[in-house]
Amino acid sequence: MKARRIVASVFRHLFLAIMAGIWLIPILWLFVTSFSTDPGIRTTRFFPEHWTLANYSKLLLHPDTVANFPAWFKNSMIIGVISCIISSAFVLMVSYAFSCMRFPSRKRLMSFSIILGMFPGVLSMIAVYFILKMFNLTDSLAGLIVVYSAGSGLGFLICKGFFDTIPASLRESAKIEGASEFTVFTRIVIPLSKPMIVYTVINSFLAPWMDFVMAKLLIRSKDPADWTVAIGLYNILQKTLIGQYFSVFCAGGIVVAVPISILFIIMQKFYVEGITGGAVKG
Amino acid sequence: MKRLLKAIGKYFADFGTAVSKGDIWVKLSLIIMGMGYIGRGQVIKGLLVTALEAVFVLFTKNISWPYITKLNTLGTVQREEVFDPITMTKTVNEYDNSLLILLFGVLGIAIIVAFLLVYIGNIKSAYRIQELKKNGKHVNNFAEDLRELVNDKFHITLLALPSIGVIFMCILPIIFMVCIAFTNYDAAHQPPSTLFTWVGWKNFITLFSNKQGSTFAYAFVKVLIWTLIWAALATVTTYIGGILLAMLINHQDTKLKKMWRSLFVVTIAIPQFVTLLLISKMFGNYGIVNGILTRIGLVDKLLEWGWISTSYVPFMTHSGLTHVMIILINIWVGIPYQMLIATGILMNIPSDQLESARIDGANKFQIFWKITMPYMLFITGPSLVTSFIGNINNFNVIYLLTGDYVTTDASLAAANAKDVDLLITWLFKITSESQLKQYYMASVIGIVVFIICATLTLVTYSRMIKGDKEEVFQ
Repeated sequence: MKARRIVASVFRHLFLAIMAGIWLIPILWLFVTSFSTDPGIRTTRFFPEHWTLANYSKLLLHPDTVANFPAWFKNSMIIGVISCIISSAFVLMVSYAFSCMRFPSRKRLMSFSIILGMFPGVLSMIAVYFILKMFNLTDSLAGLIVVYSAGSGLGFLICKGFFDTIPASLRESAKIEGASEFTVFTRIVIPLSKPMIVYTVINSFLAPWMDFVMAKLLIRSKDPADWTVAIGLYNILQKTLIGQYFSVFCAGGIVVAVPISILFIIMQKFYVEGITGGAVKG
Repeated sequence: MKRLLKAIGKYFADFGTAVSKGDIWVKLSLIIMGMGYIGRGQVIKGLLVTALEAVFVLFTKNISWPYITKLNTLGTVQREEVFDPITMTKTVNEYDNSLLILLFGVLGIAIIVAFLLVYIGNIKSAYRIQELKKNGKHVNNFAEDLRELVNDKFHITLLALPSIGVIFMCILPIIFMVCIAFTNYDAAHQPPSTLFTWVGWKNFITLFSNKQGSTFAYAFVKVLIWTLIWAALATVTTYIGGILLAMLINHQDTKLKKMWRSLFVVTIAIPQFVTLLLISKMFGNYGIVNGILTRIGLVDKLLEWGWISTSYVPFMTHSGLTHVMIILINIWVGIPYQMLIATGILMNIPSDQLESARIDGANKFQIFWKITMPYMLFITGPSLVTSFIGNINNFNVIYLLTGDYVTTDASLAAANAKDVDLLITWLFKITSESQLKQYYMASVIGIVVFIICATLTLVTYSRMIKGDKEEVFQ
């Protein structure tokens, strides 16, 4: 019996290792190709023949007329940080209102928001485009920030679930001592929700940072300095450019991915808890 | 439904009472909105409300009304330039811009409706204050009103900005999209140089019936079928795969659980626009996979056997093979994420159930199918539907993977679609990559997807309400 168990365990680990291998091959290839001296895509070797750091220096230090990574990174960063601040604030505000306050037609408003929130925003993208165009916000960072943050209040479900677990007696005793709702929100609920805030902030940063569709829709400019990371990396892989820029693309991918990977591995715990918190609730 | 009608009835009945029983101040506030407050000493509030009324009247009269009146035709005056050879200047006539008429018209009507609600609410509140005064109760002054906004009415303060954002970026676009579906807005009718106008249900008929010279109906059926197949397969494969992987990692004998999990999580951490583009290039006609297959001689073998007719394996360019590849690649993309979700839930399975099943002599498969799966389905049922909807609209996977795909089906190509397109990517291509820019067709497609998603959402939603336990912990 024991021997069988050991054999099963060995097989299980072997299987996991193979699976992990399959999952990591593309990542590994991304990594090694970013050091390749061969700039193009036509290769028959997994590992590059000659190794170099030139792709990184080209990417980060020598922007040319097509690849202007520093500008892309800056644009994406500005968009990410500002939308992250607005979205996080919106999510926390809405969650508090729905979780901790009782007002007429609260349930109805909440149901409406949930239904609206489940509806994929991508669908009405043409209309979003026209509306932003009317305000002259296409091809601008402000336009993308509006797109990413305006509707973010709808993503309150998980955060509200967390606020629901904060004992009401805490809030009530504060109110008996004369605290206003505002004080309760800023002095009691927010400090008690640190893990949730970390989760919300990281998520609202990653959503715009990783988005492709809306950026592709709104950025029509031909000037590389106006692009975001997503659009820039997509554009240097077009048919005419891929021969010269593929390894630069790989370097760009690694530069973008490293900080997020670290964030993600730290966040894993929150992620599991946060998602299930919401899932159990519905 | 009955309750809703009743509530609406009560809403107007209350308004009627307020008007008929209100005194002179309440009646005056029918015309000047602030009078009801000013008459009771709430001067600042009264002035603010009156200012709001003035802004509304000016905005509607000067800006939105001219547009609203043209909504029925969407403009009649075409833009014309007259070149004056003597002064060497161009003069442009006062032309109509259909797009602006539509946008401002819809916006203007929305503002009028919102104002009417405020207006009725205002009368009611003026009447309420009258009653308070009559009963000798305290009437708030302005400072107290402000304090209310961070206290009992804090929810108004909190929800104001997010609501405005949602109205402008979520609700208004949907209304606007529905409107465009009933017009003939395309490259040939492009404001400001040309007008577009209402065409009724014509675009819907184009999409649903085979007419001479249009292949939209043909493309629609093909794309819809693939969209549904894709969404079903993508959802089911990643869901089951994710649960199996999570169970494998969470098994009591598995060592280094955290490390295994992290290895898979790394793949989510890299943005999809990097990983998907990379993979699509790996499997490209001249990509590394084909390079290696050629080097080991497999391509020649396949050619010899007649399985392929090109000097490469057309992973991403062959109808059928590409469909399979997309599903497989999506498994790669989706499983780690599902694994994370499943991990959290698996940890919460009541262990006494598993234990008692084991004691009763159930084997592993029975436990999986009879206990683990039903439990998972119970908890993740709604999220399964959400991810089905998400997959219907999975723009990234399809768009980034199939950039090199060229359709051989002329009818599809005529409608700007490819065999591998989803409705959402088709919609996108119609608006931004085709020359004709048939915005109206894109809107019709958008509405169809909207209806599919909304139906699914409502079904899920009724379940979510049941699972609402918000006051259990409080």
